[in-house]
Amino acid sequence: MRHGLMLYFRLVGVQIRSQMQYRIPFLVEMASTGLITFASFATLALVFQRFEHIAGWNLGEVAFLYGMVETSFGVMDMLFSGFDPQNFGRQTRLGRFDQLMLRPVNLTVQVLGSEFILRRLGRIAQGTLVLVIALNWVDIHWTLAKLCYLPFVFIGQICFFGGLFIIGATISFWTLESIEFMNVFTYGGTEMMSYPATIYQDWLRKFFTYILPAVFINYYPALFILDKPDPFHMPAFASYLAPAAGFGVLAAALAFWRFGIQHYQSTGT
Amino acid sequence: MTPIIRVHHLHKHFRLTRNRHGLLGAVRGLIAPEYRTVRAVDGISFDLARGELVGYLGPNGAGKSTTIKMLAGLLVPTSGEIVVNGHVPWRERQAYVARIGAVFGQRTTLWWDLPVSESLDLLQHIYKIPAQQFQRNLDEFRQLLGLDAFINTPVRALSLGQRMRADLCAALLHDPDLLFLDEPTIGLDVVAKERIRQFIQHVNRVRGTTVILTTHDLSDVEKLCERVMIIDHGRLLYDGKLEFLREKFGGKRQLVVDFAENYSDAPVDGAEIAGRDGNRVTYEFERRVIAASELIGRLSSQYRINDLEVREPDIESTIRRIYEEKLLENASDAAN
Repeated sequence: MRHGLMLYFRLVGVQIRSQMQYRIPFLVEMASTGLITFASFATLALVFQRFEHIAGWNLGEVAFLYGMVETSFGVMDMLFSGFDPQNFGRQTRLGRFDQLMLRPVNLTVQVLGSEFILRRLGRIAQGTLVLVIALNWVDIHWTLAKLCYLPFVFIGQICFFGGLFIIGATISFWTLESIEFMNVFTYGGTEMMSYPATIYQDWLRKFFTYILPAVFINYYPALFILDKPDPFHMPAFASYLAPAAGFGVLAAALAFWRFGIQHYQSTGT
Repeated sequence: MTPIIRVHHLHKHFRLTRNRHGLLGAVRGLIAPEYRTVRAVDGISFDLARGELVGYLGPNGAGKSTTIKMLAGLLVPTSGEIVVNGHVPWRERQAYVARIGAVFGQRTTLWWDLPVSESLDLLQHIYKIPAQQFQRNLDEFRQLLGLDAFINTPVRALSLGQRMRADLCAALLHDPDLLFLDEPTIGLDVVAKERIRQFIQHVNRVRGTTVILTTHDLSDVEKLCERVMIIDHGRLLYDGKLEFLREKFGGKRQLVVDFAENYSDAPVDGAEIAGRDGNRVTYEFERRVIAASELIGRLSSQYRINDLEVREPDIESTIRRIYEEKLLENASDAAN
């Protein structure tokens, strides 16, 4: 366990150093990712010039939803780069996973340490910026409970998205063709979570409540922090489910991952 | 002494979906997929003693790499038993792979963007190699493999031969008991091949590492292996000494003679004339029928000879004959 952790930091450290070798391209790419993702927020702001409210949420409040998801997704995308389904699937076809299996280290640690894309900082910075803007625009009644809860919401979101990446990577043991299907959940999920759940059709909202518990990851914590009423009349604890839902998805993903490795060992590619 | 590898009735069957044509076929394939079973490895048994260097040969698709993958713990057999170094490879992966090394042909185990030296440092931590042992091994391999010329070069910038040398070093730093080499000389020039062969020989003889070598290049086998295993269609066709294989299936040897004068015909008992070119005559003869010394004696008593040369049938044509004529299919039990 300790060996795994030490090794993880060593592997990540090596990635960071080699990515920093080319400082200028690195900075350019980071800045451009930041700008491109920020453009989608700018579009959102333009829409609000016309409507002012979407389903009872003003721009600042939606910016809070958006900033939370962007930041946590960015952090996840950096930490879980090794599990990025498309990349992982391709690497596995090239025999890379076999190489990892030949080393006496936990496979999950090795995959996590196999890729650490530092330039995702661009997206994280963008998300944080939007979040700061949101906190400026919205007058939040900060309480100790809210302050303590916020980091757990973040962790829950990171686990949630990380779990989706792991599920996608695991599916790539079986097939590469339908891997884009997973993007519906990962990228579609971030998009969906950036808006208030009331704007969605009933069936879609139910899917993201009972099948993939995405609404508890961002929307319900936001209701709690922004002191907004729950239009769906869930029990009050729904707002506190973000860490549990996040951990739950991650745990399920890891179980599936272990199953996938067993399958891989019995069939190869 | 207990063998380092014990393989008993090993089978690996793959179930492949049969592709059907057209849209209708695709839909049917989705609803009721049709399978066919491929017996990639179909009942293989062998033992390997510590310190052996064995060549594992076979044409593409014969089941070579499937066997190696099972031995290395990457694949779980359909049935049969494998015990390597006291472990069932796929069951105790981490403990098992800590004591083996592997170089799989074109695929590097090193970090693409890192200098060789940094990759090797990482491996020290991965295998928890004590600093002293690491340094001692690294010094030895650096010298034997000539790594110094490119030890600070990123792996992506290495030539194929350099990368193979770096990979060999990487596979051996932790003093594995057993080394798997899959096509270690593929795509290399003659000089690079020779260097790698010498290194493999050193590792086997001096360090006592057991080596399993799969290769297409039969000169690898000729130079390195006393024992060969030949596999085709998932079955072991031959397991025994390379020398015996050559004797039994080697086909004809040749004796090339430069005569001192031009004989219109130069017959000799026990050999046939296969070709002539001026004063040079090429005879073919079989080991079983006549020894080279005897043949030379007969020739020199009848004719005046300037020079002569005995040519052994090369192992490549021997093995090609074995595949093509299925020479071993009935003989495999006898060879075991």
